[in-house]
Amino acid sequence: MDAAFRFQCEDVDVAEKPEDDATAVKLDTNIPQTARIWNYLLGGKDNFAADRAVGDQITEAMPHLGTYARLSRKYLARAVHYLATEVGIRQFLDIGTGLPTADNTHEVAQRAASDARIVYVDNDPLVLAHARALLTSTPDGATAYVDASLYHPEAILEEAGKTLDLKQPVALMLMGIIGHVESDEEAKSIIDRLMAGLPSGSYLAMYDGSDTEEAVVEAARIWNISAEPKYHLRSPERIAALFDGLEIIEPGVVSVTRWKPDEEALAAPDIAQVAGVGRKA
Amino acid sequence: MPPGSDGGGSTVRRIQLGARLRALRLAKGLSREQAGFPIRASESKISRMELGRVGFKERDVADLLTLYEVADDAERERLLALTREANAPSWWHTYGDVLDTWFQNYLDLEQAAEMIRTYEIQFVPGLLQTDAYARAVIKLGLDDAGPAQIDRRATLRMDRKRLLDRPDAPRLWAVLDEAVLRRPIGGFDVLREQIDSLIEICAKPLVRLQVMPFSSGGHAAAGGAFSILRFPHEDLPDIVYIEHLTSALYLDKRDDVDRYTEAISHLFIEAEPPGRTPEILRQIRNELPAGP
Repeated sequence: MDAAFRFQCEDVDVAEKPEDDATAVKLDTNIPQTARIWNYLLGGKDNFAADRAVGDQITEAMPHLGTYARLSRKYLARAVHYLATEVGIRQFLDIGTGLPTADNTHEVAQRAASDARIVYVDNDPLVLAHARALLTSTPDGATAYVDASLYHPEAILEEAGKTLDLKQPVALMLMGIIGHVESDEEAKSIIDRLMAGLPSGSYLAMYDGSDTEEAVVEAARIWNISAEPKYHLRSPERIAALFDGLEIIEPGVVSVTRWKPDEEALAAPDIAQVAGVGRKA
Repeated sequence: MPPGSDGGGSTVRRIQLGARLRALRLAKGLSREQAGFPIRASESKISRMELGRVGFKERDVADLLTLYEVADDAERERLLALTREANAPSWWHTYGDVLDTWFQNYLDLEQAAEMIRTYEIQFVPGLLQTDAYARAVIKLGLDDAGPAQIDRRATLRMDRKRLLDRPDAPRLWAVLDEAVLRRPIGGFDVLREQIDSLIEICAKPLVRLQVMPFSSGGHAAAGGAFSILRFPHEDLPDIVYIEHLTSALYLDKRDDVDRYTEAISHLFIEAEPPGRTPEILRQIRNELPAGP
């Protein structure tokens, strides 16, 4: 079997979830689900009537939500590009993958370094099915897909270690997902436990929704009436505190449109989506 | 945002007609601007027409067919009939294509797709069939056909496979029921060669195959084969395609498409992951009885 063939078809076998896992998700198209709602808001077609209904309600309260979603994805692309090119990171652990869209993590990373290795983690079976089929690696890099919940950092690290060398630096990516964890204490604990499994020179890249705009607060309220899982906005200061213990890379924890902006981001205003990149000393 | 396909007329027919008009224009070596002149349409109008994003006037289509020198009366009439159907009211949303025209109509749609998701319970998907396997399938459907007709159809099917080698090839993401891999269409030699070909195809980045094993119940048994085609523009809905023995059905209403999307989602989730497919194919191949 040649190398290209092996990597095209490579998959990481995933440990079975315990039966009583309360975070396990089944495909139910009647319950609006985060990955599918974002897919709808980003102009995708992998969504169902219930997802579109919530998406439309939220868009009514916050007509610019689609724009915010796109600007946040653009931050993801700039952060991954920065880490792959200027820092030289070759391993990415992307938790909360979502449904495939334009410029997925491995595409941005492997454009910069074709040997980059990416582990996608999600607990939505539809997301995993799409990721396995559509987020395929370059022949000299690797992509793998792990079925795990954010609430199980040790299980994530164990599975990720089958594809990534956890003795070498890894960029941990939490893009718009930590808001699903309500308490700051638990969010910080999850981040710390994940970073504890990664060596010095690893990075955390994260953005999340902030509570500084009335329309966003209203959008989150509507979301939390029907969509799963719930979303909890934080102040920029509380989001920044989640980076405690890491060296914050310039320009700090700022609006996604202000983090190493390109022309498009510069032209956009400050928005209530806050991002940063931190380095583990 | 996909605004839904309810805005009057048939999306399926628009996409088919647009794709065919584009192919005819390119075959004549004309630019969009040159094509637009005789019907007083801008370059971008022609572009939108060819993508199936706007409707067509029958007279404009007739003028374009003349410009593209389509002399064959049957082909002209097929395309003008598509135009009329493209403009029909939206309740007219399911189309039965008869044997004579459905295949060409489907090919036009397939050419325009960026992703084809498909579930097969009987046969290897047409785009992945070997020549011998394709001939065996064609013979099943055409009991009284002469060798010339079988040849013609098999050649057509092999030409169609080149779609996957084009630079703008669509992704093909398929779930194959295990029965597909065990039923000796054309005999075991033909099936073995076909399975070997599928193993090679797994290495193509744009083709993803998943096998639904006999051991899995539930959704695998819920219905027959179908495909869902996706097109490059945000405002074009996905289209469900269901093939019958002598006809075909297209669905483009959001509710219908949702039902089939849900069905194929369950299939993708329950089937073995694509990474295991080469191993499964090799195992099934080794279990086939020896001999032809």
